[in-house]
Amino acid sequence: MTARSLQIRRGAGLGARHLVYALIAFIFVLPLWWAIVSSLRPNAEVFADIFPVTPKALIPSPLTFEAYAGVFERGFGMIIANTMFVALVTMVAGLIVNGAAGFAFAMFDFKGKKLILSLIIISFMLPFEAIALPLYTVTQQLGWLDNVLALIVPSVANGLAVFLFYQFFSQVPKDYMEAARLDGVSWIDILLRIYVPLSMPTCISAALLLFIFQWEAFLWPLLAMPSQQFKVIQVGMAAFQQQYQTIWNQLFAVSVITALIPIALLLPLQRYYVQGLAGAGIKG
Amino acid sequence: MKIIQTAIAAGLVASMLAGTALAQDKTLNMIVIEGGDTTAMQAVADAYKAAHPGVTINLQPYPFAQFFQVAELRLRSKDAGIDLVYVDAPLVASYASRGFLSPFDASVDTSTLVTSALDAGKYEGNQFALPINNSAQVLFFNKTLFANAGITPPDGLTAGETASQAQVDELAATKRWTWEQVADAAQKLTVKDGGRTTTYGFTVEQFGELYQLQPFGESLGTDVIGPDGYTAKGYLDSEAWTKAATYWANLYNEWGVSPKSLGYGEAAQLFGNGQLAMMAGGTWNLPGLEASGVDFGVAPYPYFEGGKVVTPTGSWYVGVNAASGNQAEAVDFAKYLTTSAEGTKTWFDSLQQLPTYKPLLDEISTAAAFDSFPQDVFRLGVYDSLNTAKARPVTAAYGQLQDAFRTAFVDIANGVAVKDALASAVQKFEAAAARVAP
Amino acid sequence: MTRSRSPVLLIAALLTPALIGLVVFRLYPIALAANDSFFNVLRGQPVFVGLDNYVALLTDSVFWNSLKVTFWFNLLINPIQIALALGLALLYVQNFKGVTLYRVLFLIPIGVSLPTAVLIWRIMLSQDGLVNGVIGIAGVPAQPWLTSEALALYSIIAIATWKGISYWMIFIIGGLQNISPEIYDAARIDGIKPWQRLVYITIPLLRPTLLFVLVADVSINFLLFAPIFMLTQGGPADSTNVLMYEAYKSGFIFGDMGRAMAVIVVVVAILLVIVGLQFKLLSGRREAKR
Repeated sequence: MTARSLQIRRGAGLGARHLVYALIAFIFVLPLWWAIVSSLRPNAEVFADIFPVTPKALIPSPLTFEAYAGVFERGFGMIIANTMFVALVTMVAGLIVNGAAGFAFAMFDFKGKKLILSLIIISFMLPFEAIALPLYTVTQQLGWLDNVLALIVPSVANGLAVFLFYQFFSQVPKDYMEAARLDGVSWIDILLRIYVPLSMPTCISAALLLFIFQWEAFLWPLLAMPSQQFKVIQVGMAAFQQQYQTIWNQLFAVSVITALIPIALLLPLQRYYVQGLAGAGIKG
Repeated sequence: MKIIQTAIAAGLVASMLAGTALAQDKTLNMIVIEGGDTTAMQAVADAYKAAHPGVTINLQPYPFAQFFQVAELRLRSKDAGIDLVYVDAPLVASYASRGFLSPFDASVDTSTLVTSALDAGKYEGNQFALPINNSAQVLFFNKTLFANAGITPPDGLTAGETASQAQVDELAATKRWTWEQVADAAQKLTVKDGGRTTTYGFTVEQFGELYQLQPFGESLGTDVIGPDGYTAKGYLDSEAWTKAATYWANLYNEWGVSPKSLGYGEAAQLFGNGQLAMMAGGTWNLPGLEASGVDFGVAPYPYFEGGKVVTPTGSWYVGVNAASGNQAEAVDFAKYLTTSAEGTKTWFDSLQQLPTYKPLLDEISTAAAFDSFPQDVFRLGVYDSLNTAKARPVTAAYGQLQDAFRTAFVDIANGVAVKDALASAVQKFEAAAARVAP
Repeated sequence: MTRSRSPVLLIAALLTPALIGLVVFRLYPIALAANDSFFNVLRGQPVFVGLDNYVALLTDSVFWNSLKVTFWFNLLINPIQIALALGLALLYVQNFKGVTLYRVLFLIPIGVSLPTAVLIWRIMLSQDGLVNGVIGIAGVPAQPWLTSEALALYSIIAIATWKGISYWMIFIIGGLQNISPEIYDAARIDGIKPWQRLVYITIPLLRPTLLFVLVADVSINFLLFAPIFMLTQGGPADSTNVLMYEAYKSGFIFGDMGRAMAVIVVVVAILLVIVGLQFKLLSGRREAKR
């Protein structure tokens, strides 16, 4: 085998590899790309370059922002604000509640610890859908139907977040804690002044987890807010597409907005997100 | 300490004042359908408030797609936050049988209301809901598109012409198109461009809905379900309904003249954009189509050749929530809405639905204001409501029937075999109905 | 490693909020579901009917169809998703110039929520949509992806897979990162081919991770709801009527909570059995090989 043919082979191999990766990336990106492009076109032009397909289909031409204007005119801005509110409150409350629980499990031994820990983690592995219908009855009993509390409170305690904090706090060297205890520092101070600052990456992971969970919530907000006066974004989007089945560009505008906000959060923080989740999967 | 005492005293005084103020003002909550219905109801509520200061009717509108579910959930949980309910005609039985509505007593004078409409609001002899209006379905057609295609449009009412009730009666009795004629014209009017349809020949307004399609099978001679309200076998899967469903299937598949899966209100939009040549829809579309600038005419609702003429009828009713704490006030508003001259006129002017208030119907037939287009279209409604209208089936399982019917017809439009779809609908309805049968 | 004596009050304070959440919003609803399934609402009043709702399911052909659809759906989607996620993870961890861009792009579906993905794909799969346009180049006629009895379920599988595999990929990456490179070095020295490496070394070492992903994925797919709700409402001709949607229809469209809860209890029971089986079969084998 000559050096030249080896080089060609390697080049072809490199090319083939890029082709494979590019193809997969293309499939992942295409829907979002087409959505963005179509949301920037007038409604009549959305399907214009498809039969037959030309590359022009992937460019927003003619360019217009009328879809976005229309969407906000229909009150979508309020829906985005609603969802932001629910997501942020859940996030903050969740960090506190789950962080505290994770800290307790990591630092202390007590009777029934293993049982409670497993119960928390397993019960939260049961997806929301399984309990959505009975949860509706509970919410009704609490008088929280059509109340924002119904969207926030049940989602604050999260088994995965507890697990993340538990894992992290367990791995912090005990020396810090022991030295502080010898100095007579209270547990709360240890938590707040030593562990919390250390746990920033886990906090980011858990925060993203909670935020995205609420951002993506669909079935529960649909059931818990039957009057739909308070819409969150996924339900608002579904209702929008039911009511305006042929205003394509606005449908796309709505989905682009819904998708871009978590992506905007995720991309800069992806390192933490990946690390946090990847760490959780190992022990299983 | 003194500050606290003053604060408490102030608080008590304030709440007392607020209490007395509240005792004067009443707010009644009413759930309605979003859109034109809400606009019309708001107009009536405003008129009522002008006549009864201190009583505010607060409307809670929901999109059509959500409405029935929400009403169901809230009424079932005995929500005292609802006083008045917008009830779809065929659901009166279902709601009444489960104790959701308070019956109206003899204090309400119903002599001015059309008897058949009143009867549809009764359950086991009691009047549980009052009819707000009736409905009239017609065939809208785009004159320009017909002219461009060189086809003769159906006989009907158009701008620039007048028609007396007698003339309208003759039109409706003798010059009605058949569904076969509609299909024929629709195929010639449908325009495809580069694989996509740019002009559709025909569509019904409400895709797959029982209200809209009930006349199809009944025109050929068979009802949707049996008189007991729980049997569909032998009815929905009969020869008549199979033939009707095949026609429906052809509209979407073989002939390709109708657009698939239209959302609520989108058929009217297509027609208003000049992309639809014929639409079978309600008279409530008149104001919107007038505003759209399309040159259109209105023909009577078609029927199957050799069959009976049957038209959709029935509309919305108002009921009082049994769990409401404001029974007397709610009944009073309901009375105003349905049996007062001002209430019914305000409603009619806004929503343009065929009235159930007899004096208004007389006015339509005789007053000069209704001689010209588009107001003369209501005379068509008067004729049909007296001669061809057939109410929807009375059954406590109407919700289940509506769902099974819609599923079947949506599936058929999407290519599922007619026989399978109808058989499945029959089976599903009967199973669901059995669970609510007494 | 010493742990302090337990300051009971503090522990209680730290754990209580999470525990309340657990009991009130997870355990209690499950108990409630079981309870509601023993009642029927007739004429507005709840009536105790014992096991009637469950017995009724036995002769309910719509229920059996839902069961069939759910099982078939899961039989297909779970292996497909995990295999693809594994492949994706293997690609993700490779190092070469330009891989960072690809890595970012691989993560995009995670940011796109399921309902959003469903909406976009619905339009892409519509009669005049992009997918039909693209296959049109190859001369393939336009397909009714979501409105055909034959294709609807597979279209939903495709959409859910598009959305889901990036997420599972992350967990598998975590597992891959745990495998020490020395094992691969030793394998290379021994002359083991790449695919053998994959089958005999990587996958066995990934077992705990794959098990975790399998259990979690099955749980989610078994209860999948959003795509069916938004796209097909169980149709056409009940071809996508999974158990979860059937329960929703019963409870929230027809107000038949008794039947809805019975279906939910059945679904959760089946899920627990499946998860239990997975644990038993897949962790048991490791013991046997020793």
